[in-house]
Amino acid sequence: MREIRLVLADDHNVMRRGLRLLLESQPGFLVVGEAADGRQAVEQALALKPDVVVLDIAMPNMSGTEAAQRIREALPATAIVILSMHSDESYVLRALKAGAKAYLLKDSAEGDLVDAIRAVSEGKAFFSPEISRVMAEDYVREMRTRGAQDSYELLTAREREILHLITEGKPNKEIATLLGLSLYTVETHRRNLQEKLKLHSVAELILYSVRKGLVSSR
Amino acid sequence: MVTAQGIGRRDVHRTGKPVTGSRIALIAGFGGLLIIIALSGLDGLRVLRKVRQEDDLIRRQFLLRNHLLNDIRSELYLSGTWVRDYLLDPDPSRAATFGASLENVHREMDVALASYERLVEPRESKEYGELRAQLMHYWNLLGPVLEWSAAERQRRGYAFLRDEVFARRTAMLEIAGRIGDINEEQLNAGNQRVVDLLDSFQTRLLLTLTLVLGLGLLMAAFTMRRILHLEDHAQARYLEVVEARSQLTSLSARLVETQETERRALARELHDEVGQSLSAALIELRNLSNALAGFFEEGARARVESVRGLVEGTLKVVRNMSLLLRPSMLDDLGLIPALRWQAREVSRRTGMDVLVEADPESDSIPDEYKTCIYRVVQEALHNCERHSGAAAIRIEVQRTGDELILRIADNGHGFDVSRSHGLGLLGMEERAAHLGGALRVRSNSKDGTTLEVELPFREVTA
Repeated sequence: MREIRLVLADDHNVMRRGLRLLLESQPGFLVVGEAADGRQAVEQALALKPDVVVLDIAMPNMSGTEAAQRIREALPATAIVILSMHSDESYVLRALKAGAKAYLLKDSAEGDLVDAIRAVSEGKAFFSPEISRVMAEDYVREMRTRGAQDSYELLTAREREILHLITEGKPNKEIATLLGLSLYTVETHRRNLQEKLKLHSVAELILYSVRKGLVSSR
Repeated sequence: MVTAQGIGRRDVHRTGKPVTGSRIALIAGFGGLLIIIALSGLDGLRVLRKVRQEDDLIRRQFLLRNHLLNDIRSELYLSGTWVRDYLLDPDPSRAATFGASLENVHREMDVALASYERLVEPRESKEYGELRAQLMHYWNLLGPVLEWSAAERQRRGYAFLRDEVFARRTAMLEIAGRIGDINEEQLNAGNQRVVDLLDSFQTRLLLTLTLVLGLGLLMAAFTMRRILHLEDHAQARYLEVVEARSQLTSLSARLVETQETERRALARELHDEVGQSLSAALIELRNLSNALAGFFEEGARARVESVRGLVEGTLKVVRNMSLLLRPSMLDDLGLIPALRWQAREVSRRTGMDVLVEADPESDSIPDEYKTCIYRVVQEALHNCERHSGAAAIRIEVQRTGDELILRIADNGHGFDVSRSHGLGLLGMEERAAHLGGALRVRSNSKDGTTLEVELPFREVTA
């Protein structure tokens, strides 16, 4: 198994050291760089081109989300894991929009970080179980409050399949191959499902999937 | 404390005395004025009545006297005629009839004279006396003539008539004319008396009028001065109150600001420092647990796990405290995400449906406005949760031109707005007022409660 190369960014020294210790005790993980703020994290990532960057959301000089966006733009192949104290979906959406693949609560990071890194290195999304749970509950409640019809019911079986694959981080071409469809057909399905859900970015689609409980935490 | 009280009491005394003093002065002044006016009116009525009586009396007496005088005159003429007819008629029986008529006239004249005598004024007593003497003499002269025989009458009649009767009659008529003149003078004098009476009344009236006018002017000046003084006093008090109120408002605004700053700092400290340290501790505990795995028994790991549980609990408490103090998303993500978060939290905790409808552009407002709205919503949701019994709450934030409108409506059982002045409502009102806005509350048991806050922008700095 190929080693997963990591860069850790957290302004808290004790936290960073603890995380490093935790990750290096796992087989197949290699921490190649550390950063104490957002700017340093971007520099390290650009210099080392790691597989995964773990970013604290709140850091001096440049926030975790901003650093994530820069790294994402420069290194599309590098997956990003956001560590945060906030469980609210506004933060999650922000992180997803910045290009993060995983969103972990710091409170439970020691338990989930290893799983999250494994998931994102395979191209999948990952969220702390607590976040998935809270967001799913909020979604149900909001649907009831608004008296709205669950838009998921509007999707065809094919569109649901494609939504799952998008959420797992698969590009259109791969989805086409997996489902034995033409690229054009996949693009049409994708347009249709986005229209039905009124969601217009991958980040929003992923968030939607989390709220629907379509993304497994493990 | 004691001196302050002493001064206060003296102050009350000082302001109390002139008020009673001026009150007495006002009552006395206006009362006196009214009494003078009333007395002068009564005097006027009395004078008018007296004038009318006097005038009446004078006129009646004049007429009566004049009438009697004319009677006397005409009887004098008549007596002359009867005397002439008596003297010149040769027929004795007819002469006797004339004589009887003359006697008759004599009696009537006596009656008229007696009547007049009762009315004689001092001024005409001389003339009257003269007239009466002449008349007595006249009748005395005529007395023996009636005894005359026909021959005597024929012989002496004409001469007697010419020398005695007509001459005397002329003299007596002259006296009567003088008395008539005096009578007329009396009438004029009576009129003059009435005029004098009216004149004196006029003078008195003029005096009273001057007095009333002067006193009135004095009273007006005094009252005016007093009122102006009181007005100044009231104005000064009013300004004091306004000043005190503005000081209070700015103080409370500063208090709110300070509180907000402190909360923000505390929340940050708790979240970033304490929270981070606890998170790090959790990681380290996990590492410790991993490290122990190979070398110690399960008991040691269980101890570590129990410590981890404690730290995790503490971390949750710290995060909640921090969020309650000031949610970081208000500063990190803006107002609307913070409101949505709060709505979800309340919804999760209470089971109420909380809906947030907000224009995306209502997030581009200055920080103090965001804080104000956030806090008002927080307080309102708190109130709904505790008192309203509502099942659903709707929060709307609209930005229209230069105004921001926040509306919070619940479907609970409402409350009496005019009677309930909780600190919560007061606090919201104060926050809104601090930004030049206003809070309106409508509530009834049927439609629930609607809170509305209007915040005007003086300058949009966002």
